[in-house]
Amino acid sequence: MSPSYLAQDPTLADFGRDPWWLVLIKIVFAFAFGLLATLLGVWFERRVVGYMQVRPGPNQVGPFGLLQTLADGLKMAFKEDILPKAADKVVYFFAPTISVICAVTALSVVPFGPMVSIFGHHTPLQVTDVPVAVLVLLACSSMGVYGIVLGGWASGSTYPLLGGLRSSAQMISYEVAMGLSIVAVFMTAGTMSTSGIVAQQGHGTELTIFGNSIPAPGWYAILLLPSFIIFFISTVGETNRAPFDLPEAESELVAGFMTEYSSLKFALFMLSEYVAMVTMSAVTTTLFLGGWRAPWPITIWEGANSGWWPMLWFFGKVIALVFVFVWLRGTLPRLRYDQFMRFGWKVLLPINLVWILVLSGLRSIEDWDSRGKLIAVGIPAGILLVATLFWPNRRPQPKPTTQEQVDNRPYGSFPLPPMDLQVPPSPRITRVVAEREPANIATGSDSREV
Amino acid sequence: MTELKLPSLDYAALAPILIMLGAALVGVLVEAFVPRRSRHVVQLTLALLAVLAALTMVVLNADDRLITAGQAISVDGPTLFLQGAILVLAAMALLLIGDRSVERGGAFVAQAAVTAESADDRRQAEGRNGLTEIYPLTTFAIGGMLIFVAANDLLTMFIALEVFSLPLYLLCALARRRRLLSQEAAMKYFLLGAYASAFFLFGVALIYGFTSGIPGRGAGVDFSTINAAVTESPTSPVLLFAGMALLAIGLLFKAAAAPFHVWTPDVYQGAPTPVTGFMAACTKVAAFGALLRVFHVAFAGAAWDFTPVLGAVAVLTMLVGAVLAVTQTDIKRLLAYSSIANAGYLLVGVLSPSRDGLSGTMFYLVAYGFSVLAAFAVVTLVRDADGEATHLSRWAGLGRRSPFYAGLFTFILLAFAGIPLTSGFTSKFAIFGPALDGGQAWLVIAGVLTSMVLAFPYLRVVVMMWLSEPGESTPTVTVPGGLTSAALMIGVLATLVLGVAPAPLLDLATGAADFVR
Amino acid sequence: MSLSPYAPIIGLFALAAAFSLFSVGAARFAGPHRYNKAKLEAYECGIEPSPQPVGGGRFPIKFYLTAMLFIVFDIEIIFLYPWAVSFDALPIFGFVEMVLFIVAVFVAYAYVWRRGGLDWD
Repeated sequence: MSPSYLAQDPTLADFGRDPWWLVLIKIVFAFAFGLLATLLGVWFERRVVGYMQVRPGPNQVGPFGLLQTLADGLKMAFKEDILPKAADKVVYFFAPTISVICAVTALSVVPFGPMVSIFGHHTPLQVTDVPVAVLVLLACSSMGVYGIVLGGWASGSTYPLLGGLRSSAQMISYEVAMGLSIVAVFMTAGTMSTSGIVAQQGHGTELTIFGNSIPAPGWYAILLLPSFIIFFISTVGETNRAPFDLPEAESELVAGFMTEYSSLKFALFMLSEYVAMVTMSAVTTTLFLGGWRAPWPITIWEGANSGWWPMLWFFGKVIALVFVFVWLRGTLPRLRYDQFMRFGWKVLLPINLVWILVLSGLRSIEDWDSRGKLIAVGIPAGILLVATLFWPNRRPQPKPTTQEQVDNRPYGSFPLPPMDLQVPPSPRITRVVAEREPANIATGSDSREV
Repeated sequence: MTELKLPSLDYAALAPILIMLGAALVGVLVEAFVPRRSRHVVQLTLALLAVLAALTMVVLNADDRLITAGQAISVDGPTLFLQGAILVLAAMALLLIGDRSVERGGAFVAQAAVTAESADDRRQAEGRNGLTEIYPLTTFAIGGMLIFVAANDLLTMFIALEVFSLPLYLLCALARRRRLLSQEAAMKYFLLGAYASAFFLFGVALIYGFTSGIPGRGAGVDFSTINAAVTESPTSPVLLFAGMALLAIGLLFKAAAAPFHVWTPDVYQGAPTPVTGFMAACTKVAAFGALLRVFHVAFAGAAWDFTPVLGAVAVLTMLVGAVLAVTQTDIKRLLAYSSIANAGYLLVGVLSPSRDGLSGTMFYLVAYGFSVLAAFAVVTLVRDADGEATHLSRWAGLGRRSPFYAGLFTFILLAFAGIPLTSGFTSKFAIFGPALDGGQAWLVIAGVLTSMVLAFPYLRVVVMMWLSEPGESTPTVTVPGGLTSAALMIGVLATLVLGVAPAPLLDLATGAADFVR
Repeated sequence: MSLSPYAPIIGLFALAAAFSLFSVGAARFAGPHRYNKAKLEAYECGIEPSPQPVGGGRFPIKFYLTAMLFIVFDIEIIFLYPWAVSFDALPIFGFVEMVLFIVAVFVAYAYVWRRGGLDWD
């Protein structure tokens, strides 16, 4: 490993030294990045999904249809802004702004690149970094729930309320999984600052397989594979993206919390969703994919990790992750709500806790210098995790008999006609009537004992 | 990075606490994995075994005088004596809680979340087995009390306060019958308890601020630091007085002293009777244990400042308890006001600076705990079709119906009234004697006067039970099963023995009556 | 003059707030406004909207349960973070303590699972 490989890493001491105009430039840049990413992200998603569904997607407005989103946004601005009669005016007004602010603010601690020189100032390519940067990220992502739940509540309508409630339950459930999966990162990196975590991932790993030593990147996605998988899954849940887009399940809830929103307010919700997707991809890149560091084949070139080049690698990784988001949406059907909650609480959470215990146990008893050992544990554990997650369940669900269903009905239910009720066939009808199954009766939860 | 310094832990000294909390965790697991049918037996056995094991550890530790866990826990004479008292009384309370012979399915609700007074609620009251979560809850509460009396700094004390309070709030809401009353009791207790906790915490903050003024020493809320600050600090004592007052509010709330007593009658009435007994006996021990430690160890240097105020609180408490007890028509409320008055007598003991005062207070706590548990055991037995018949008019003529249990109850009431040859007499003597020696004659006079007032409602019940004819509505006394009988007998015998031969326990209390500082 | 490292976070926050407030405000003026009573009703797929109970009404207790569980585990996470960051500075005792803590929370978790607190139907 050459010294220049690490030389460009900013430390916490490098932050807070910029003059105000440089800070302003960086802020505007991060904000513009968020907006542009949305404009391109929507286009990208529609094109990719179109390609997957063997249709062209938007291709009329601008080259390759690139300006389609802009046109949509402009059109949105000139639509009527409806304030429903039953809405709580103030909250209804502010809810979309909460979503946008939270999604955008998270970008402030994402490192875009190493130390560069801007107008003679030697400064890190990152808006800012603080010792608790990852907590800022988590705070922003969880505060975003407020926009959705308040928007749903303030609409004064049933579908948005349900969508908002679902969304809050979903986001807090997946936030637990997300928060736990970062513990492994903190443990390995020993810091909560984003630039520090990226710097820690710069230490490459020598994998020895059959006597050949292969330089592998020190990415936590490889070292901490189970954490990475869980983190990415919960990211999808946290951003309300398919297959976890239950708050806006149009087949059940119309448009969820956005049902009553129109015009630019609706556009802001859409904006915050895409900014959140891009932000989360950027965070995943930072925490698990080495941030702005070049992946292995490029690192053969000495200058890959210095200057402005790393921004390119960073954007490449973010685009790759956004592609995965879109890919998921194009491929997977939406989960049912109970499946979704079960997955979060009964699968991700315990696996996460056990993995943290295993990891800390390994680190306590082993000398940490041998990273290969962790990889030897982590990769099989990760593969096992994926296999268990996606192993098809062939066991049929136990089907309660009719009598059990009748017995399980809550007290005070409607009276049932006798189950053996035989309607005598009308003599005039000669064709055989298909035997009808009795209707499925809802099982009451409050009379069940465990 | 710097290596962190770890506090040393004396596991043997901490064993009673660890055993109780561990048993509570196991209890939760039992609740999750043992089939519903056998849970009751398993849970009761587990809780009783845990109490016995903890008691054994307390006895084995009897000679310990140390402070462990980095100034957080002190295991000394009063700690061990009071922990032992809590454990013995808790064992009795567990016997009452675990009894399912008096009422089918036990005294606890089967499904707490069912709407009160609904059809579902009536069906659960008919005889479905009660919740078994009460055992882990009780065990958690006992564990919290054990920490509470051992806490050597205010933060540990606060944690312990919450650990034993939260399960109690829940337990109050779990009565099988009169669900609305029970839920109301729990709600009141919870809200007021939360306020009291907030006062306590605020007091801790102020005391912390006060201790930062000592030259050459860091701020802290452990008792030795506070003690040093009280005697040495050059800063103005305003923070100290304000902090002390707020702390006292938090603790006096738990001890049910006036004017922080208002929750007591409602909660005692609404809670399931075994839980009421548990609270009246064990919570009182824990609360006064903490009061003793805070005022004798941390604020010893400020005794001249707090004695008049606490003395006034004591007199007020005795007056409120005694006078309002006279007007009560419900036996559980009567016992609640009696418990308030007893808190006043106990405060007299807290204010005696001498070693005898301390030992007298501890003796009083034990003696009162036994009697009050026996009293509530009898209350669970007097029943009609709707459950316990707690209205006093229903008790008229009970002596004719069931002279044995009426006799036992009479004996307990006489003990409360302080008649010689009962523990009530010896314990009052043990408290008032040192107070007189310590120059607190005005408290003693108030105590004796209110005792005389308080004797009236007790004697009224006695007269009512024996001298009235049993009417149509006089309920029957259910013949209890083994568990309640055992608890009742232990309570009555202890009341008698401590009245006739108090010397062994008094000696034990005197031997234990010195704090480790 | 240099700013605190926390200042840019607030700066970005302010910029985003300004942008979104401007958009929300502009929506009042940019679009047309044609009054229509039906347009201002709550949307329920074209049927008459069902009356909303005062104060939003009651919703399933499951949501409260999820919120409580979230708090339990979020607090666990809060304790885990500083422990994880300074893991290398802690002796083996730190590991043992955290195992005990996680086990204690896990006991509650097992209880909730077995009692159906994690099931939605």
